[in-house]
Amino acid sequence: MNFLFYPLTLVTFTPLLGVLVLLFLKPEQKNAARWVALITSLVTFGISIAVLVQFNLGDPGLQMVVDVPWIQVAGWNISFLMGVDGLSILLLLLTTFLTPISILSTWTAVEERVKEFMVFFLLLEVGMVGVFLAQDLFLFYIFWEFTLVPMYFLIGLWGGPRRIYAAVKFFLYTMAGSILMLLAILWLGIYGGTFSVPELITTGGIPADIQLWLFIAFAAAFAIKVPMWPLHSWLPDAHVEAPTAGSVILAGVLLKMGTYGFLRFNIPLFPQAAIQAAPWIAVLAVIGILYGAAVSYAQKDVKKLVAYSSVSHLGFVMLGLFALNPQGIQGGILQMINHGLSTGALFLIVGMIYERRHTRDMDAFGGLWKVMPVYGTLTLIVALSSMGLPGLNGFVGEFAILLGAWEAGQVDGPLGSYWFAGLAAVGVILAAVYILYMFQKLFLGPVDKEENRALKDINWREIATLAPLLVFIFWIGLYPKPFFTLMAPAVNNLVTALQTAALAMH
Amino acid sequence: MLLSEAVAGGPQFFNLVPLVVFFPLIGLLVNLIFGGRLSEVLVGSIASLATGLAFVVAVLLVISLVGHPDGASIALADWITIGELQLRWGFQVDTLSVTMMLVVSGVGLLIHIYAIGYMHDDVRHNGDPSRYRRFFVFFNLFIVAMMILVSADSYLMLFVGWEGVGLCSYLLIGFWYDKGANGIGNALAAKKAFVTNRIGDFGFLLAAFTMFGIFRTFNFDEVFARVPEVAETFPIAILMITLFMLLGVAGKSAQIPLYVWLPDAMAGPTPVSALIHAATMVTAGVYLVARSFPLYAVVPMAQETVALIGGITALFAATIAVAQFDIKKVLAYSTISQLGFMVAAVGMGAVVAGMFHLVAHAFFKALLFLSAGSVIQGVERGEHHVEHSSKQKKSTKGSGGHFDPQDMRNMGGLRGQMKITFWVYLIGALALAGIPPLAGFWSKDEILLEASHLNPTVYYLLLAAAFFTAFYMGRQVVMIFFGRPRSDAAAHASESPLVMTVPLMILAGLSALGGLLNLPWTHTFGHFLEHTIKIEEAVQEIALGEEAAKASISFDPIVAAISVGLALVAIALAWWLYHRRYQEMLSLPPAKRPDDPLRGMLGPVFQLLENKYWIDELYWAVILNPYIAISRFLADQVDWRFWHDWFHDRVIAGGFNALTRLLSIRFDLGFIDAIANGLGSLTGKLAGRMRQFETGYVRTYALSVFLGVVIILGYLILR
Amino acid sequence: MTLQTVLQSTLAILPLTVLVLWASLLILVDLFIPDERKWLTALLAALGMVVSLILALTRTGAQQVAFDGMVVIDGFSIFLQALFLVSGLAAIALSHDYLKRMHIDRSEFYILLMYSISGMMLMSMAADLIVVFLALELLSIPLYVLAGFARPRVASEEAALKYFLLGAYAGGFVVYGVALVFGATGSTGLADIVSAIQAGTANLNLLAIGAALILVGLGFKVAAVPFHMWTPDVYEGSPSPVTAFMSVGAKAGGFAALLRVFVIAFPVLALDMTPILWVLAALTMILGNFVAIAQRNIKRLLAYSSIAHAGYILMAIVPYGQRDVSPDAVASSLVYLVAYALTSFGAWAVVIALEKAEGGGLELEDYAGLARRYPLLAAAMAVFMLSFTGVPPTLGFVGKFYLFRTVIDGGFIGLAIIGVLTSLVSAYYYLRVVVFMYMREGEPQVTSAAWVNLTAGVAALATVVLSIFATPLFTWASQAVLQLF
Repeated sequence: MNFLFYPLTLVTFTPLLGVLVLLFLKPEQKNAARWVALITSLVTFGISIAVLVQFNLGDPGLQMVVDVPWIQVAGWNISFLMGVDGLSILLLLLTTFLTPISILSTWTAVEERVKEFMVFFLLLEVGMVGVFLAQDLFLFYIFWEFTLVPMYFLIGLWGGPRRIYAAVKFFLYTMAGSILMLLAILWLGIYGGTFSVPELITTGGIPADIQLWLFIAFAAAFAIKVPMWPLHSWLPDAHVEAPTAGSVILAGVLLKMGTYGFLRFNIPLFPQAAIQAAPWIAVLAVIGILYGAAVSYAQKDVKKLVAYSSVSHLGFVMLGLFALNPQGIQGGILQMINHGLSTGALFLIVGMIYERRHTRDMDAFGGLWKVMPVYGTLTLIVALSSMGLPGLNGFVGEFAILLGAWEAGQVDGPLGSYWFAGLAAVGVILAAVYILYMFQKLFLGPVDKEENRALKDINWREIATLAPLLVFIFWIGLYPKPFFTLMAPAVNNLVTALQTAALAMH
Repeated sequence: MLLSEAVAGGPQFFNLVPLVVFFPLIGLLVNLIFGGRLSEVLVGSIASLATGLAFVVAVLLVISLVGHPDGASIALADWITIGELQLRWGFQVDTLSVTMMLVVSGVGLLIHIYAIGYMHDDVRHNGDPSRYRRFFVFFNLFIVAMMILVSADSYLMLFVGWEGVGLCSYLLIGFWYDKGANGIGNALAAKKAFVTNRIGDFGFLLAAFTMFGIFRTFNFDEVFARVPEVAETFPIAILMITLFMLLGVAGKSAQIPLYVWLPDAMAGPTPVSALIHAATMVTAGVYLVARSFPLYAVVPMAQETVALIGGITALFAATIAVAQFDIKKVLAYSTISQLGFMVAAVGMGAVVAGMFHLVAHAFFKALLFLSAGSVIQGVERGEHHVEHSSKQKKSTKGSGGHFDPQDMRNMGGLRGQMKITFWVYLIGALALAGIPPLAGFWSKDEILLEASHLNPTVYYLLLAAAFFTAFYMGRQVVMIFFGRPRSDAAAHASESPLVMTVPLMILAGLSALGGLLNLPWTHTFGHFLEHTIKIEEAVQEIALGEEAAKASISFDPIVAAISVGLALVAIALAWWLYHRRYQEMLSLPPAKRPDDPLRGMLGPVFQLLENKYWIDELYWAVILNPYIAISRFLADQVDWRFWHDWFHDRVIAGGFNALTRLLSIRFDLGFIDAIANGLGSLTGKLAGRMRQFETGYVRTYALSVFLGVVIILGYLILR
Repeated sequence: MTLQTVLQSTLAILPLTVLVLWASLLILVDLFIPDERKWLTALLAALGMVVSLILALTRTGAQQVAFDGMVVIDGFSIFLQALFLVSGLAAIALSHDYLKRMHIDRSEFYILLMYSISGMMLMSMAADLIVVFLALELLSIPLYVLAGFARPRVASEEAALKYFLLGAYAGGFVVYGVALVFGATGSTGLADIVSAIQAGTANLNLLAIGAALILVGLGFKVAAVPFHMWTPDVYEGSPSPVTAFMSVGAKAGGFAALLRVFVIAFPVLALDMTPILWVLAALTMILGNFVAIAQRNIKRLLAYSSIAHAGYILMAIVPYGQRDVSPDAVASSLVYLVAYALTSFGAWAVVIALEKAEGGGLELEDYAGLARRYPLLAAAMAVFMLSFTGVPPTLGFVGKFYLFRTVIDGGFIGLAIIGVLTSLVSAYYYLRVVVFMYMREGEPQVTSAAWVNLTAGVAALATVVLSIFATPLFTWASQAVLQLF
């Protein structure tokens, strides 16, 4: 059992300790529950930092591997296989980083069944971290499906008026995708005689036509999670109904599980299929970028606006990943982080105003910058980062992605047309349109609503929830090099693998 | 002697270049953090000091450049590093960039100082003194961004500043975000500016991508070094780059078709209009083309386009300016027009002329805006005076009801109350009109001269533009300062404080003597710049051609005479119209008195000009409304009603339930369930029928088992 | 057949012998137990099962033939016997308090239970079609009585009647099938049937029809569509503990016979049987899951869910004819049976906790607000629902994982897709239970009885823990299978 004390297993299961403690609390011990959850998540974050410290920059492969035989009977070699590499380390950190922030944001927002809330939240963290670390398909699937349960409860119990509808829709929609992936996983397990991803990759040699089917099966699960247009219909419901912290995690981490899935499984396991599918994925991605931008511009509910903006942003991520070149992929990974930070922050911001006014209708606001200057300024920074202003994080990712897509647009490139990057770049204009529209509706103009005159500016706790995000918004914007160096070796590995696969095709 | 030492040990000053960014940055941080507790004057002084220090650094750089004209490129840190993509925070020190630094920090400094006084009144007039600090924070932020822009050593770094100044422009146009039409006007103007610029940035990005695709780098020197070779192998690429870039230029430097944001940008406080929307930011596009000269030089087609756009914009905007009544709007369109001059110049390859005009324009246009600000506040003071003094309500003329202190129709005869302002304004106006020996004359003349050699079409466009320029400036000066006051406010207007007028006088001096920089006989500035804008002979051929090369150092009296002559005619015409005719008109009863003599003469044409050719309306009709409609349609109809409600909730969920009911009632004898759960009335009826054969159940069950058997056996036998 | 061999054989099937004798003795003993002490009978019955269970487990790994090869003792039978006995114990735990509450506290209950279990145990060992039929009746008849145990409640009596009539009807098909098989091969012993087939003396068409009829009979027991009609009524009418026991024991018994007979005797018929099984499995999964959605009564809902799960197991049997897959087919069925048994006993425990004397407390609405008032009970139920759905980390998921793996290994991707899609459908109604418990306000009434709570708790815990440490279960199942081949 000593494998439980390896860094990766520790970082995954530490939250369970918090759950254990919480179970012994009485329902009325609300603050105790909050503190337990916060401290647990902070400890988890600390451990993930330790993982980062141990992380060897030069090594493109998996590190700190935990490999414990698990179910070895009946010819299925399932092992408890965890590992971290350049593709996942940042997402691991993002998860452990966003969880305490979200918990902090619930301090006054959640008064009902606080204890249960925290239990589900920590369980969710276990699931998410596990997803990013699991290197065995069986293990991965367990974590992947498991994340559904706590999120389902978070939406269904603490959500808005239509929470049950949203929760069930979220559950069924996501499960619909994952069950197809399950079949593909089983096929792979039988074909390769193992569920270990690294082994499957090294054995490889899956016939191209079958690759395509498996690719589609996996893509079904991930595309719904991302969500790629047109599979996004669950997103607005889930986001609008979910409690603030839920939205933050949903947008910040859960959606990334989809993009990460493409990166971790679809591309390395089925390189040829990935190359064949790239243009099609890119088409959907670009549609998503433009469609998401246009649709969010027409929203009245600010939370819905942010939700749809995610469709647009993740379109960029997908476009970058399937540019299949270093710029695109690294930009894509960084943009996952960026989206987690900016959109996470945006949801926190929406939550703050919702707590004060109990409405998210943008017509109910206006001129808030005058009433809540600090709040306004912080929002402005986040908004700018989300619309990709150079010097803030959003630009670095978007630029790398667009450049990658453009490079991939050469005649012999994976995308084969400059139109993808060109149209995606139009999304940059549209982003400015809806973001500035939102900022104007909320913060500019005269304070013409009585209810808004007396609003209190955000307090220190609220600033404390936003501040860490802002730090990274600036850091990544001004000096992203450390982040790129973290992922570079792994990505280059992946790209070379893709090139060999491409050669094999011709 | 001190200078010579500096020159001797010059280059180490180059390492100071990052400070041009960091000084303002520090200034803004100080004001941001401590500004709350500091007095207004202190806040303003800190900001000005920060800019001043940047200016000092710029001067030191010039000193070093005298000794080491080739300049240097200083790297600070890596930025984005992915595979081949190696971007760094780097600074370019050469004559071109340092020129811009001087202009930005120099003019910037003066405007900062001016703003100390101006904003003091402005924040009170608009009723929110707490924004005084915010103004200077934004102002310093702008200097930071602008310095990044001009000191960049690569296109991407330049883009950072490029978008940065866009942001500051947004923030400062919307500085009074709760004022303007319906209280939202200014905010909308700000948004318009940002979005329009984003369209330009879109072009810039595409240019960048293409550039990386060919050159594999964004660094100026590395790109330019490979231009000739690429020009041989793949000229189309360079054409694409330059044309995409042109879109960016049109956005930032307010050229057709993206100029529409600049007039609205006048919603910002006057110092903003002066610094950002006249002197510095809007010239970024000109700087970009000048900087990219090696690229443009090898693709004449691109040069044609740029020059033409510049020429057309120059004339187009000048005509609009003729029919504006808002003192700042006139200057705004004048700015667009003058930018057209510069763009045309750099487009033609007359980089020196273009840059020269850029500098001169920075002087006199800043001067004009600031003086306009002084005028406006003078009138505002007058208005206050009227309101407080007059017991019985006196109706103030002009835009009925709400009094508009920027409407020139409410002014007149101000030269009495505002002597300094009047004189500096006059100097600025004449400079702009191109009257020798003021700065504007020399720079504009050089452009016209080059044009006359390089591109006749553009030459005539610019000539016409010059004529209108002189006319509308004449019109403005007369309407503001001459004749009788046309409102009580104007009658009681008063001069501005020294903190505002002193910078005005300095700028006036610069506008008057700026020409010395680059007299046709000395060409100091030209030689200064040539260190940066040096291109291979081969390219020189394509770019300028023989006689052009000659022209650029000579002086053609005929060209000068024509332009000056036209200018004088225009001014005379303006004087006649707006002094003589106007006074006569005043005698008419208010009802049938036209507010502008031209209105009577030109009729519909004046309408057309006054309404700016209805271009804004056109854009609304063609671009904005359609986009809003589309996004509404997508959001409400497609995404929500069709995709979310109909497809998911109706088709999928509904179909699902229908299937359930079908299976449970038809195939599972589910009427029983139906009875048990009392589902719906139909099933209720079914239930009624079922009750009769209560014992029928078992039989039915047995039957279904039997059927199953029959089918299975049937299959086994018949297969 | 000498007395000695009979004795040996009786010893060989000692667990069964003990259980039968114990039951028979208990009838007498019970007469001397005063009415207010009837819990003693329950205790004794449980004791008997424990003894028998221990005896059974001591035999693990043993392999012997008894009664001239009419019964065999092997891993397979022992695995199932353990399952049956544990189910019996669970049934007792559930019923003890329930019977009192429903005023049907009569001690025959436990004895009938023991007889039924002995029938199941015999079924698991049956190596001869005659024995299969015997066992079938032995396990069924007590169940018929138990189904009507809640008399004079009409629903219960009606259930008993239906179950009896249809059971007899289905039994008829088995007998006829056995007869045909005998006609085709001249024997009813599985071993002899195999040798006859190998010798080529068998009439395969006749054999196929016989097999099909046997399939029908057993299909009725496991409640496979279209032989499932009785299930909802009987499940609803019978006393809940009986239903619980039925839904696990009877089903497992049916599968025990189905697996052994088909895997041993009829691989040669795979070509004919596979399509039939395919269709049966598909129908069962689709109908069971879809119809369950329409249910508002928890007992009927669980009834249909049990039909659906029969479908999943059938799905794994489809490739029984492929020599390389069939071991997995059996093993995965066994594993799934365990998962299913644990989960449904847990679920039924919760149902029983909420059921009221006058048969109320069975509508979904009655579960509203359970999470607030009885968080642990609700949590347990949630776990069971997730396990039924097949969401990790629950045994239900692990079981399904194994089933689907078998199916895909057998190359029936289409069937697998139907399987996963229907389990998606099932999520819809299982989640509805959760929605009621957690997201609707209400005042549920719960009669909490120690044994019931214990069952629920243990089941919930096991469902989760066994899913994470699944290796022992898998090992046991896969070894249990080995001796079949």
